[in-house]
Amino acid sequence: HNFSFFLSFFLFLGGKYDYDLVVIGGGSGGLACSKEAAQFGQKVAVLDYVDPTVKGKIKIWGLGGTCVNVGCIPKKLIHQAALFGTALKDAKKYGWQISEPVCHDWATMMEGVQNHVRSLNWGHRVQLQDKKVKYLNFKGSLVDEHTVKGLTKAGKETILTAKNIVIVTGGRPKYPTNIPGAVEHGITSDDMFWLKKSPGKTLVVGASYVALECAGFLTGIGLDTTVMVRSIALRGFDQQMAGLVTDYMETYGTKFAWKCVPKRVDKLSSGALQVTWTDTQTGGEHQDTYDSVLWAVGRAPETKALGLDKLGVKLNQETGKIVLATDESTSVPNIYALGDIGEGRPELTPTAIKAGKLLARRLAGQSAELMNYDNVPTTVFTPLEYGCVGLSEEEAEKRHGKDNIEVYHAFYKPLEFTVAERDASQCYIKVVCKRFGDQTILGLHFTGPNAGEVMQGFAMGFQCGATYSHLSQTVGIHPTCAEEVVKVNITKHSGLDATVTGC
Amino acid sequence: MAKYEEVSVRGYDEFCQAVSERKGKDIFAYFSGDKDDQGKSWCPDCVKAEPVVRGEMAHLPEGSVFIYCQVGERAYWKNPNNDFKKTLKLSGVPTLLRYGTPQKLVEEECFKADLVKMMFTED
Repeated sequence: HNFSFFLSFFLFLGGKYDYDLVVIGGGSGGLACSKEAAQFGQKVAVLDYVDPTVKGKIKIWGLGGTCVNVGCIPKKLIHQAALFGTALKDAKKYGWQISEPVCHDWATMMEGVQNHVRSLNWGHRVQLQDKKVKYLNFKGSLVDEHTVKGLTKAGKETILTAKNIVIVTGGRPKYPTNIPGAVEHGITSDDMFWLKKSPGKTLVVGASYVALECAGFLTGIGLDTTVMVRSIALRGFDQQMAGLVTDYMETYGTKFAWKCVPKRVDKLSSGALQVTWTDTQTGGEHQDTYDSVLWAVGRAPETKALGLDKLGVKLNQETGKIVLATDESTSVPNIYALGDIGEGRPELTPTAIKAGKLLARRLAGQSAELMNYDNVPTTVFTPLEYGCVGLSEEEAEKRHGKDNIEVYHAFYKPLEFTVAERDASQCYIKVVCKRFGDQTILGLHFTGPNAGEVMQGFAMGFQCGATYSHLSQTVGIHPTCAEEVVKVNITKHSGLDATVTGC
Repeated sequence: MAKYEEVSVRGYDEFCQAVSERKGKDIFAYFSGDKDDQGKSWCPDCVKAEPVVRGEMAHLPEGSVFIYCQVGERAYWKNPNNDFKKTLKLSGVPTLLRYGTPQKLVEEECFKADLVKMMFTED
């Protein structure tokens, strides 16, 4: 402690730190922040380090963080693989002569996915080098507000001093703490995207978008998949939309064990996993065997090994995340944080990237612009995708009062589903508006194919303060699913049938 | 004594042969447009990059292989269906790559000594 005080004092006198900025974490936020800062001539170092998963079953992954290695990127690719499975079935109705049975090979898919992930790791590495950002494969922790300690895998220590420090260490999947066998026999999403062999018959425990997206693509590639939900699905999202998402999944073959809680996981002599669970509605106990158990029960912020308590960096007691001001500063001067580790921040890549860039600009004295976390659109890539921006209907009711909102909605059928004879019962659009005045749009919700692509443009309108009248003045592009958004005209209040009929 | 092996090949078949004879080794491959009798390549970027790449070769790992591959004449290279483009997925010359990995540097990236050094020295 004396040493660090002396060091800081010495540095203050000398006015020289090793770096203008040290970024702890080389994921979406960390890479964006460090590259932007370097662009303004700042001397920057990035520390990226991955602890092996609890089981140590998989090797650690490369530069890029969760999104690149065990999140968005492999998820979307595998979701695409699953969509092809459905497309192959549809294709026959469109005249393609495809011989049955059509099988899916996990190893082939994973090779393609992992090759792409590795090329992204390399691409980030080249970019850092090219932009003169120092990359260190060290596990970073804080010594004081200007000093970071970096630890190599072999345990070798390096000390770096910095004018400013940004913590961007993100989160890791949680394991349940009170279920015997959970850690020894189960896996998380960190493991799923690196499995060499197919997970086989899988039990997915959880009902977050991670759980549903994984269960969705596993079902799509032909695996026997069950989702075990303790209470509700997609907590925090519009619950009517969440219901449509899970209804679709059930129709298309994903099994759901609603209101059930796992009790224990045992490994049988055959190698299979026996899961015992309680049905909380009946109190009854049940058992079944699976090849894999995937825990998707939440993510915990990576703050334990950072030494935050020593420095007095304030954390939210409930979530363990770092408490941040609107400029991403923490309770300690010169220490900032962003991305998943920040309390109240969306756990999304684009917001981490944007916040990282804006912070870099502010620290370099180039700008005073703060990150705007409002109106962030997002999409859940379940088999039936769900895209949204703004408030859920429940949240809009809460904030404005049920009588002060107008909900326009429509059940539509994608044209492509017709020839394919596919059920479109859950393809739905909901536009939640203020009831009076300009009828400003408060929230936009869409379930259907390519929901993310559909929503991106509408998110811009939302950002510009679009009203229902703007929407209805917009001419649709035909024939698309997106045009049904601008054509929406039946309100929930009217009680009329909201099914779109013909052109 | 050099700690790496340098091999010179011309054309796709010779390249594949050289690779197959060195299974299990860490292979770095540098692809350049053919050189004429005066030793000058038709590809100006290759002329610029070669001294940079050669300048970092002292950093090649022990036991590794460096394959210098002349891909062919300009007309052959321009054809989008040539073997290098089709099978090896090369998009341009010069390309420096680590065989069997996604690690590669293409065109202007090969002008940067620090990037070349990074490729030779990092895992």
